[in-house]
Amino acid sequence: MKHLKNIIRPYIVWSIIMIVVPLLLVFLYAFTVGGNSLVNIKFSFDNFKRFSDIVYLEVFIKSFRIGLLTTAICFVLGYPLAYIISRFKESTQSILILFVTIPMWINMLLRTYAWISIISQNGILNSFLNKLGFDSINIMYTDTAVLIGLVCNFLPLMVIPIHTSLTKMDKTLIEAAHDLGANEVQTFFNITFKLSMPGVINGVFIVFITSISAFIIPKLLGGGQYMLIGNIIETQFLHVMDWNFGSAISLILIVIIIAINRVLKKFDLEG
Amino acid sequence: MKKLRGSVKGLVVMLVITLCGVLTGCSGEDKEVLRIYNAGEYIDESLIGKFEKENNCKVVYSTFDSNESMYTMLNSGEKYDILVPSDYMIERLIKEEYLKKIDWSKITIKDTLLEDVMDKEYDPGNKYSVPYYWGNVGILYNKKTVDKKDLKDGWELLNNKKYKGKLYMYNSERDSFMIALKALGYSMNTDSKKELDKAYDWLVKQNKKMKPVYAGDEVIDNMISGNKEIAIVYSGDGALIISENPELDFYVPKQGTNVWVDAMVLTKDCKNDDLAYKFMNFILEKENALINTEYIGYSSSVKSVYEEMQKTTYKGIDAYVVDDSNKKNEVFRYQSTETKKYMSELWTKVIAQ
Repeated sequence: MKHLKNIIRPYIVWSIIMIVVPLLLVFLYAFTVGGNSLVNIKFSFDNFKRFSDIVYLEVFIKSFRIGLLTTAICFVLGYPLAYIISRFKESTQSILILFVTIPMWINMLLRTYAWISIISQNGILNSFLNKLGFDSINIMYTDTAVLIGLVCNFLPLMVIPIHTSLTKMDKTLIEAAHDLGANEVQTFFNITFKLSMPGVINGVFIVFITSISAFIIPKLLGGGQYMLIGNIIETQFLHVMDWNFGSAISLILIVIIIAINRVLKKFDLEG
Repeated sequence: MKKLRGSVKGLVVMLVITLCGVLTGCSGEDKEVLRIYNAGEYIDESLIGKFEKENNCKVVYSTFDSNESMYTMLNSGEKYDILVPSDYMIERLIKEEYLKKIDWSKITIKDTLLEDVMDKEYDPGNKYSVPYYWGNVGILYNKKTVDKKDLKDGWELLNNKKYKGKLYMYNSERDSFMIALKALGYSMNTDSKKELDKAYDWLVKQNKKMKPVYAGDEVIDNMISGNKEIAIVYSGDGALIISENPELDFYVPKQGTNVWVDAMVLTKDCKNDDLAYKFMNFILEKENALINTEYIGYSSSVKSVYEEMQKTTYKGIDAYVVDDSNKKNEVFRYQSTETKKYMSELWTKVIAQ
């Protein structure tokens, strides 16, 4: 045990420097005003008051809508995929999972830029449609474009945890259900789906939090006016340089994510 | 799983090899180093290699996407030798004592610079800055689809319902407020909250009515491929886009615009002044400046290059010739912290609508 403690020590130091200290800084900035240099700061709730402006609340609502939609689409596409993969023999499964993760080896920006050249006004998709005699469709800079980008980037995050919990499942339970007279559908909903719940909850949680805090995909595919929470935070830090307000929004986001995590965990335990 | 282990081994070997490379690269090096921080796509990078070879030095070149993000990096303690910010940011850096004075006796190409770009309000007498490129801001439009008569409205063209959903605004607070303030007949360097509020209303209304896309540099590719009819662009970008897509033209509204200058400055962290001056002379020397301008497309601060480009690559393209005659044109000035904060807050709200 003592031996182990020595191994852990560097990690503790690392997490304090890289996680705890920055978080404390976010706290400090969020509850103070007086500039980024922290020289003459004043304790204040102003940053949170500013956030109550209807414009920002609407951005929050929009982010949640996009986050929920992304999660739902990822789930609808991801669950069957994970289920089908889990039905193959083990060696095939690892190859198929590899295929699912291959897109993640390519930088997210590149994948997003690829989408831009596909769906832009005079892009690949529209020139293809025009050749076939159809009218151009306008996807670029709309919700659809952002959703395509988010779903394509985050789908593996949904598939992998679900696949893991599906393969870890005790197969004899399914046989038992069949023996007791349950049909395929009943078995699926009463046994398979219930046992895969931990994976589903993990997938939903990860996809949801990454998509509500995403900023580069909405910016590139939705245009500069497409503001989600992540974009507002980015603007405050990089362009407006109001780190206090940026931190306050980040803090609100953190609190909401923790709350969602708690709710989902409870759901998991009850399930 | 076995296969995977094999690839992990391969990865480790690769990592070790690159690490060795990096380590020996560092230890075996006592070349002089020059750290340059420039806007993205704002140099022909082959020139950096040429400079390194000629002077047997190493250039650490990094790029920023806006003056504000450059300031954030600088403010957070990052160290550079040469920066290439715009006018108002230079004024700010001077006021906040980030910069070193330029020793003009070491700038050998001094006499080849255009008079028009020197001695502007942001840095009178060019004590701190050596101009790099300059230009103004205007409207790029499609000659076929945009009615010539509508151009008379100047900036109000951006409010013409005919072109709803067909225009790019520029995703930068100062440029957008400049347009609104000029359209309303105010100075773009105003400190008056009343005028800023009016400009804010103009921008919000425009956003709701016209549904523009607020774009950054991606506007260049998008306009070349003709994705929309109208875009706000810097004159240099305009010239570049028109040379690729002749269906477009550029004009500067009579209500006035921003005449901007981007210039090279030395930071107080600069350790090797001589090398920095060498770079400034190198990049503005005619032969290199021509190559560079050919690549960037902006209006050069070097007189002979500026004139030559008007006869060659950008022949007949008005956007390349900077119109500095209108009295209503201005140069961006340093904003007080209060004004800046106020404008930023309004801007966040404009695009979050």
